Amino acid sequence: MGATLHNRDNSLVRLFKWIYAGLDRTIFMGLKFTFPSKFVSPLGFLGMLTFVVFIILGITGALLMLWYEPILTRAWDSVHKINDTIPYGFHIRNIHYHASNAMVMLAILHMYYQFFSGRYKIRNEILWVSGIIIGVLTILEAFTGYDIIFSERAELAISIAASLTNSIPIVGPDMMHAFFGNGFHDFVLRFYAFHVFLLPIALLGLMVIHFPRFLVFDVPMVMAVTGAIMLTGGVFPIDMGLKFDPNVPPGITVPEWYLTGLYSFLRSGYDKFTTGVAWPGLFILTLLIMPFIDRYKKFSWKDRPIIAALGITSIAQIMVTTYWGFYIDPDRTKSLLERLVIDPIFLYTVMALLVPLSFGFTYLMIKLAKNAEERSKTQKKPAEKSPIQLPEKWLLIIFVCLIGFQVYLNIATYYALLSGMKNFSLFLVGIIMLVFAGMFHLYRQGKSLPKSNVEVVSSKRPSYGLSSFGNKILGKDTSKKPLPVDTSTGTTSTVSSLPGGDLDKKTQEEEPVAAESPEIKTPSKSSTSTTSSTPSKSSTSTTSSTS
Amino acid sequence: MSQHRPPNIGGGKISRRDFLKLLAAAGTVMTFTPFVDWGKFLPNPQEAAGQRAKVELPDGSQANVKTFKVNHAEAVIYPKSNDQVLNAESFRTWQFIRLPAELGGDKSDASAFRMYSMVCLHLWCLWKYWPEDGRKRGECPCHGSMYDPMTGMAFAGPASLQAPPSNVLPRLDLEIDDKGDIWIKPPNWSPSANGVVGYGRYLT
Repeated sequence: MGATLHNRDNSLVRLFKWIYAGLDRTIFMGLKFTFPSKFVSPLGFLGMLTFVVFIILGITGALLMLWYEPILTRAWDSVHKINDTIPYGFHIRNIHYHASNAMVMLAILHMYYQFFSGRYKIRNEILWVSGIIIGVLTILEAFTGYDIIFSERAELAISIAASLTNSIPIVGPDMMHAFFGNGFHDFVLRFYAFHVFLLPIALLGLMVIHFPRFLVFDVPMVMAVTGAIMLTGGVFPIDMGLKFDPNVPPGITVPEWYLTGLYSFLRSGYDKFTTGVAWPGLFILTLLIMPFIDRYKKFSWKDRPIIAALGITSIAQIMVTTYWGFYIDPDRTKSLLERLVIDPIFLYTVMALLVPLSFGFTYLMIKLAKNAEERSKTQKKPAEKSPIQLPEKWLLIIFVCLIGFQVYLNIATYYALLSGMKNFSLFLVGIIMLVFAGMFHLYRQGKSLPKSNVEVVSSKRPSYGLSSFGNKILGKDTSKKPLPVDTSTGTTSTVSSLPGGDLDKKTQEEEPVAAESPEIKTPSKSSTSTTSSTPSKSSTSTTSSTS
Repeated sequence: MSQHRPPNIGGGKISRRDFLKLLAAAGTVMTFTPFVDWGKFLPNPQEAAGQRAKVELPDGSQANVKTFKVNHAEAVIYPKSNDQVLNAESFRTWQFIRLPAELGGDKSDASAFRMYSMVCLHLWCLWKYWPEDGRKRGECPCHGSMYDPMTGMAFAGPASLQAPPSNVLPRLDLEIDDKGDIWIKPPNWSPSANGVVGYGRYLT
C-alpha cells in the first residue's frame, strides 16, 4: 500500500507520501478507495454520494448551529435572521436544505439499486439491514430538521408526529413524553438535540457498520452532485414559511416530499395508528427482512421475478401516495377540511387494485423478457463483448429531453433573477462545479485513450477490481436492449473495483467459504464466467476497449 | 486487512451450563429492573405539583366564586413559572370557565367551574370559550372544532372525528376553600385521569 519515495520528489510531495504511508496503520487501509479513471455508472456508488452529501450537511449544519437558537420564542426568528441578516446565511441554509433533500433521494435510489441488483445477499445482509436503519434515521433527521424552524408547517408536522407517537398502544404516551417533552418549549429543544447530535451520531455509528470495504470516490460525480445541489439552491431558494402562531388559522401545507406518501394515508382520516404507524412500519419491516425472504440463488432482477415485481410494486405505491399526498383540491369554495380529507374507500381501493396490477404486470413482463431471451439464445450466440448501442431514435429522444430540461432550467433561472435572486453566487458556484465535473470527466476520458498503438503495460499496482459490476446488472443481456445508461463511453465492461465487483473475487479467493455454502458459490461463479472475457485490468491498463 | 473466515453460523448447540448461566443473568437483570427509576430523566411531564395551586387570573388575582362572573372565561397559565418563555407556552394555557346559568354556573361550588387545556386536540391551535347567546361553546379558530363546555368533548369539526381519547379536552380538577378562592388540585397526567395536553382524555 505504501507509496514509494523518489529522490526527485520535492519535500511537499515527500510529506504527503509519508503521511499516506503512515495511513497504512490506520483503519482506512481496510477500506479500498478507488478513484475510477473512466466513467463508471454512478448507480454503483450511490452510497458514497449519499455519504458525501451527509458530509456537506454536517458542515453547513455546523455553520447554522452558530446562529440558530432552539428556544420556543426565538427559533423561527433566529432562522429568519440567518436567512436575511447574516452574511451568507441564506446560502448556507439553502445548501443545507437542498442537500437534505438530495440525501434522502440518493439514499432511496441507493436502496432500490441494491434491491434490484440483489447485492444484499452473500453475507451482505448486515449491510442491507444497517442500510435500512440508516435510511429511516435519515428521514427522521430530515424531519426533525424542518421541524425546528418552527414555522407553521413545522408545527403541523410536529402535532401530527406527536399524535402518531401517542397513538401507539401501551408505550405511545410515554414515548411521546420522552421524544417531545411536554409542550413546544421542550419540543424545540429536544428535536434540536436529536437533529444535531443524537441522530447524526447514530448515523455515523451505523455507517461504520454499513461501509463496505471497497469504495469508489468518483470526483466528477461528487462534483456534479454538489454542483446540482448548489444550482438548485440558486434557482429554487427555500422560503421561510410563516411563523407559527397558535391563534392564527394555518394555511394548507404539505410535508416534505418524502413524507407526503404517509401524509396521504393520514389525510384519509382513518385510525391514526393503522395509517401512520402500522403501514410505514410494515413497509420498513418488509425491507428489513428482504434478504431473508429472497431465496433466489441468482442476483439479476431478471432472475428474481417475484422480488423484482415486489420492488416495482412498492415504487408504484410510493409514487401514487406521494402524489396523492401533495394533491389538494384546488376548489376554494369548498371547506378546508373537505379539500384536505381523502376518501379512505377511494384511496384504499386504488391501493388494493394497484398491488396486484403492478405486481402481476411486472412479473409478466419479466417472464416474457426471459422467454424472448431464451429463444434468441438458441438462435444465435450473441457477441461476448458488445458495448451498449442505443438506436438513433432513443439518442434523439434523450437529446430532446435534455434540451427541454435545459430550457426549463433557463426559465426557472430567469424567474429567479427577476425576483432578485439573492443567492446568485450559489447558482454560479453550482454551474462552476458542474462544469468542473464535465471537464474532469473529459480529461479523464482523454487520458485513458491510448497515446499510440504500443501496448503499455504497467501493472505495478494490484488490480483488485473485477469487471463484472456493470455486466451483472446492465449485463450482456441488457446490452441488447436500449438502456439510457452509460451511453457516452460504452465502457460498461471496464470498471474498477466496486462493492459488487469484488464479491466474485472474494468468493473465489475464499475457497473454504465457498465450499461451506455451495448455493452461494454457484451464482457468483456463473456471473463471473459471463464476464470473464471482459478486461479486468481496470484502472491500471491503458489499453482498453475504448480505443 | 486479512480475510478472516466467518464464524460457523450453522446450528451450534448451547450447553446446559451456558443456558443456565444465561438464565441466571437474565433473571438478575429482570429482578432489579423494576427498582430502577426508569426514564425520570427523559420524559418531562409537567413539573409534578405536589400541592394545590392558585387559579391565577391574568390580572394577578386569585379567582373567587363571589367575584368571577357566570358564563365567563379567562386564560390561566398552569403550571406558572417565573420564566416568560415558558409562560408563553401553549401547553401551559388553560381556559378557566364559569358555566352559563342553564348548565349550573350559578352554583357556588366547584361544579360551576371548568378548566380545560386550550390546546385544540386537532392541530394544537388555541381554542377559546365564546359566551355569546347561541354559541356558549369552545371554538378553535383554525379548523373550526367546537367543544362542549360541560364535558370538554368535541362535538363538531375535525377534533370531534378523532377517536377517543383525542376528542375530549384534558381537564384540571378544582376545589374551593372557605373564602371562596378557587384552587387547582394536583393533577394526574394520564389519559384516563386528567388527560394529556394536546392528546386528550378518556371521558369517564
